[in-house]
Amino acid sequence: MTMTRVHRKVREYDVFARKARVDPLRHVGRVVAPDDDLAQAYARATYDEERWVEMVIVPREAVITVTAPGEE
Amino acid sequence: MSKPVPGGVSDIVLSLADCKQLLGLRYAEWCSATPTLEADIAAAAMGLDDLGHSRVLAGCLSELGSDPRGPERETEPGAYRNVAFLDQPWTEWNQFVAANAILDTAFTVMIESLVEGPVEVLRTRLRKMLAEERYHFLHGRSWLNEIGPDPSVDQAWTEAVEWLGPEGGELRKRLAAKLERPEPKLSVDWSRWDPIRRRSRPGAIDGHTFDMLRGLEERRYGVTRAEATAGG
Repeated sequence: MTMTRVHRKVREYDVFARKARVDPLRHVGRVVAPDDDLAQAYARATYDEERWVEMVIVPREAVITVTAPGEE
Repeated sequence: MSKPVPGGVSDIVLSLADCKQLLGLRYAEWCSATPTLEADIAAAAMGLDDLGHSRVLAGCLSELGSDPRGPERETEPGAYRNVAFLDQPWTEWNQFVAANAILDTAFTVMIESLVEGPVEVLRTRLRKMLAEERYHFLHGRSWLNEIGPDPSVDQAWTEAVEWLGPEGGELRKRLAAKLERPEPKLSVDWSRWDPIRRRSRPGAIDGHTFDMLRGLEERRYGVTRAEATAGG
């Protein structure tokens, strides 16, 4: 069996979801993928333990840290 | 009063059910063998989706007026109406990707056409599949771009065109539009096309898979009635 090369470049995505419209989106996990399409497919397949009404993914590099642990 | 079901719809639904069942099994065979852990999980999830879709489609047959399933399905692997690409387990990841991107999307295009069609039971029951298939499509299209040109892709596309049928011109256009690439130059010999199995290539699923479909593999590992009685 020949193996296809694994992706040359990947990004990390944070996955957020909620079970009911009244709930806030909460962080449920993370996926690694080469593009947004595959990240969506992986997020849906990996975090399917609940019947979510909404799931979103955010590229980790788009997150702006306002405060961080250990900061005054 | 419900509208009459157009001729041939039962045959298409059964072929779709058979293809989805085989596709689900083939995906499942790869759930610990793909290039990445994430793709392993996606293979398992997509396999479960397609096995579920197959059950829903088979469940529609009794309401379509004529159920084309006959007793030959217990003895003849060739009675299954699947595309040839699903006859044997895949040995290369590129085959998985080709089936995922091209064939799974061709089946989705047909489901869309049935959901838009006049048969009420199909309009209502098949709609949910389209939401699930969106993730199969995203997965397949992304990996298709990753693997690049490959003979498996041309083979899958040829079989998709055959499966959509000689009058499936509009569906072929929809398939190419979804995949955002032109249909490759294909050679389809319609004189050899089997309108029941919707394929030109002879052959059938392998014996192991056929046994699994009939529950024989499961029985090999199950407790026999004699063992159960002896065990008290």
